[in-house]
Amino acid sequence: MPLAFSPTTVPVVVDEAKCIADKGCTVCVDVCPLDVLRISDLTGKAHMKFDECWYCMPCEKDCPTGAVTVNIPYLLR
Amino acid sequence: MDNFVEGLSEVTCDVLVIGGGTAGPMAALKAKQKNPALNVVLLEKANVKRSGAICMGMDGLNNAVVPGYATPEQYTKEITIANDGIVDQAPVFKYASRCYDIIQELDRFGIRFQKNANGDFDLKKVHHLGTYVLPMPNGDTVKKALYRQIKRERILVSNRFMATRLLTASDGRIAGATAVNTRTAEFLVLRAKTVILCMGAAGRLGLPHSGYLFGTYENPTNSGDGYAMAYHAGAALANLECYQINPLIKDYNGPACAYVAGPFGAYTANSEGNRFIESDYWSGQMMQEFYNELQSGKGPVFLKLNHLHADTVGEIEEILHKVERPSRGRFHQARGTDYREKMIEMHISEIGFCSGHSASGVFVDEFARTTVPGLYAAGDMASVPHNYMLGAFTNGAVAGEHAAEVALETDLPDFDSEFVKAERKRVLAPTRREDGIPPNQLEYKTRRLVNDYLQPPKVTARMRIGQARLAEVRDDLETALVARNAHELMRSLEVSSILDCADMAAHASLFRTESRWGLYHNRVDYPKKDDDNWFCHTLLRKVDGRLVSEKRPIQPYIVPIENEERTAYDRLRVSNQA
Amino acid sequence: MTAFDPFEDFGDIEEIGERLNDADAAVRRLAVIDLAETASADVLPHLLTAVADPDATVRLQLAIALSEFDAVEAAAGLARLVADQDLTVAQAAADSLAELKDPAAAESILPLVSHGRAFVRAAGFRGLKALRSRGALGPALAAMRDEDANVRAQALGVVAYLKLEETLPCLVAATRDADATVRSVAVNALSFTSQPAAAAAVTAALDDETWQVRAAAAESLGRIGQTSAVDGLTAGLSDEYWQVRQKCLNALGKLKAQSTVRQISELLTSDMASLRKESAAALGEIADPSSRDSLMAHIGDADPDVRKTVRWALTRLG
Ligand SMILES: Cc1cc2nc3c(=O)[nH]c(=O)nc-3n(C[C@H](O)[C@H](O)[C@H](O)COP(=O)(O)OP(=O)(O)OC[C@H]3O[C@@H](n4cnc5c(N)ncnc54)[C@H](O)[C@@H]3O)c2cc1C
Ligand code: SF4
Ligand code: SF4
Repeated sequence: MPLAFSPTTVPVVVDEAKCIADKGCTVCVDVCPLDVLRISDLTGKAHMKFDECWYCMPCEKDCPTGAVTVNIPYLLR
Repeated sequence: MDNFVEGLSEVTCDVLVIGGGTAGPMAALKAKQKNPALNVVLLEKANVKRSGAICMGMDGLNNAVVPGYATPEQYTKEITIANDGIVDQAPVFKYASRCYDIIQELDRFGIRFQKNANGDFDLKKVHHLGTYVLPMPNGDTVKKALYRQIKRERILVSNRFMATRLLTASDGRIAGATAVNTRTAEFLVLRAKTVILCMGAAGRLGLPHSGYLFGTYENPTNSGDGYAMAYHAGAALANLECYQINPLIKDYNGPACAYVAGPFGAYTANSEGNRFIESDYWSGQMMQEFYNELQSGKGPVFLKLNHLHADTVGEIEEILHKVERPSRGRFHQARGTDYREKMIEMHISEIGFCSGHSASGVFVDEFARTTVPGLYAAGDMASVPHNYMLGAFTNGAVAGEHAAEVALETDLPDFDSEFVKAERKRVLAPTRREDGIPPNQLEYKTRRLVNDYLQPPKVTARMRIGQARLAEVRDDLETALVARNAHELMRSLEVSSILDCADMAAHASLFRTESRWGLYHNRVDYPKKDDDNWFCHTLLRKVDGRLVSEKRPIQPYIVPIENEERTAYDRLRVSNQA
Repeated sequence: MTAFDPFEDFGDIEEIGERLNDADAAVRRLAVIDLAETASADVLPHLLTAVADPDATVRLQLAIALSEFDAVEAAAGLARLVADQDLTVAQAAADSLAELKDPAAAESILPLVSHGRAFVRAAGFRGLKALRSRGALGPALAAMRDEDANVRAQALGVVAYLKLEETLPCLVAATRDADATVRSVAVNALSFTSQPAAAAAVTAALDDETWQVRAAAAESLGRIGQTSAVDGLTAGLSDEYWQVRQKCLNALGKLKAQSTVRQISELLTSDMASLRKESAAALGEIADPSSRDSLMAHIGDADPDVRKTVRWALTRLG
């Protein structure tokens, strides 16, 4: 049973110009209760890796540079 | 991150607290304060800094029993009546007597409650009888303040470890737990003299109407692991048929906050803009009325604020959109809904287990002890009804203190290393498969079946079909579930808990052949309340690998409820109008 | 198979402290976060060096971070940041100051209340309020003549938290302040005492030009519980704002103002359910048998909350 790749639009957006993950920040990744954010190996910036979000907002609130925006997941909007 | 790492460690402690949300940090603190020499470990699936129901904060205490506003006796009576009398009063009374101390302590921690201009607690009246609601206009300080205390007391914190099973000794005592790292899949064995379970509600049982797996009322990290672990360890679980169902803002699936907006004059209304709820307390009865109105020609149901002054609405928004579920403002904004103009559509939540809001939890006595020696439970997953946040804090404190005392006089129990080996195999099984069914699909199917077959109104034949279909899913879970990384492994293990909870929900619901607690246990083919046969708790436990339910008599009331009082209250609750 | 350490570890303080000297502001900022994360008072000396950081984002992070420490040193740092030229920094520092609980912090905060900038003076009083320091009383009383309304409101907060009879003249005068917020705080605060002067001042506020102040006054009178307020509250039953009428009903119930049963009953026919309910509740509180008929007339009210309250009130009548 091979696995397919199904696209999904994720609710959390990171402004890469503001994100300072490349300086060592991992705040949003650390605080997310659902553990769905990661620092990308490719860009060195934070991004939402898994579409499993409670739109609870610690990531946005605790980000020191205001780089994170939490939108309501599309299915609920 | 997320790649599998073969790792195995064993740690030993005196008191192990599992779940670092609300009750857990308090339990750990109190255990440590009781005896600073004790080795206290706090294990958390997420990060204690921002975990659990209160990860962003909380709008207020729903059930504060503060001298001058309400008495423990009065509170105990009201909870007893709101639960149709199916209450062991001792833990409720203990909570009510103790919670004011805890409020003051939280205040000292820097958690801020509403105060009047003179700096005294400013409680609001929401119910007809007692006054219990203490708002927290700056409730976003809760988690930060708690975590600070944990660090100051030097409690050992283990973040991003998901507990999977409890360990028991040959004499049946608790001996510890196993856990797995959610980012590396490393396996951890924790040996302990006492264990306190604080893993929150089973919030991922039903599927939200939106279909989004994580759009639940509860914080979705609370996938019912605590219920499943207690069950597998042989502990009794009480009244699981008394589901949690909450009134919500439609689609957003967050609380509509009658407790916040109510004191300002907002209320729940039908499409004609009129009130319809007769019931005075948040209870199954109230949910039934809500459900009836939703289904009626006067439905759907709304939160009405548009009669309030614009300044007042502004004040409410300031609270609702900032603290507990701050994305609520964004939700309304995207749809162009303004509280000042339109009523807000409401709905009911998916089902779950939670004693915080109803009464379904691991059975505990007034010392938070479960039926397994050395094992405690507190918060939403323990059976003290209508606990809410302050109950989690207070009973967490009770559990922590008692567990610390017991740990002092207990030697480290032995444990079964064969069991640990088997558990490690079970846990890692989805990582050993090359292909199969991913956890998100298994989860969706399980929860869709829960909605189709187990949600009230409950019908016997339907629940039986549900059991059969869930058994098929269990086969898939045991033979085909695949996890490609550590994160998916966490989700896989969560599905296993969800499935256990679904089985327990069906079993417990079928056992009680009457209707009780309004919508929570509305059994269509047994529509009447049957006090002669069912004025009792039900306890569910694992016996020889199977689910077994039994009745448990209600402990004699310590705060007697005169028949007359009950009718007086009923007159408040139940309409004598057509 | 490798063993691992499962416990959180906040890193080496000296090493993190070193990063505060990094050329990159982002790195310094993250160092502040990491130091605060330890919640250990040992990091304060390091942290405080960042008060003079040239980069505002670092100082902002520090202003937030210092709320983690309820220590005198933290108060001293915040006292400097509250006067920061960067307003975001100053605002964050003001918020953090208000988190302090240790009464010893008052000493560092006190000088702020005579600062040249109103923002700083207000932040100072706001920080002093919860500390309930007697030493702050004099400056707070004096600040009631401050030209800035926010400073007066915060200073009044300091006075109100102390709950001293001797501050009565100040609180009474504040019920006539030019600013509505100040007046609101004053009428709310006066409920701590049973001095007739307090009740009189609050009753007078029932005629305030701002409805929120009138509502606050009614609420406060309910708490004060002096029958001298009954006439004023009864007049308030015909206030143009229903919110005020509602509070007056509630207060009259609390005062058990038997003489007003007739006026209260009139509101049972209001077209607003919330007022009908409050009126029934007040009648229940007063429990005068003469209200039975009017209550009975509403036992079948269209609104369930009103019906419930009417039923409750009737049980109170016996
Ligand atoms: C949206 C919302 C609004 C609410 N509003 C109010 C309110 O205004 N007033 C009020 O009084 N109450 C309110 N409540 C109820 C209150 O928040 C809860 O009753 C209380 O916080 C429950 O505490 P707890 O410790 O049981 O659970 P939680 O605080 O949720 O903690 C459970 C913890 O266990 C962890 N965990 C779960 N599984 C595992 C595992 N396998 N291994 C390790 N850790 C695990 C979770 O990550 C979580 O941190 C609200 C609840 C919700 C969801
Ligand atoms: S918290 Fe903000 S700055 Fe830090 S990694 Fe996340 S997005 Fe980037
Ligand atoms: S909103 Fe909550 S769940 Fe979603 S990414 Fe942010 S912290 Fe995680």
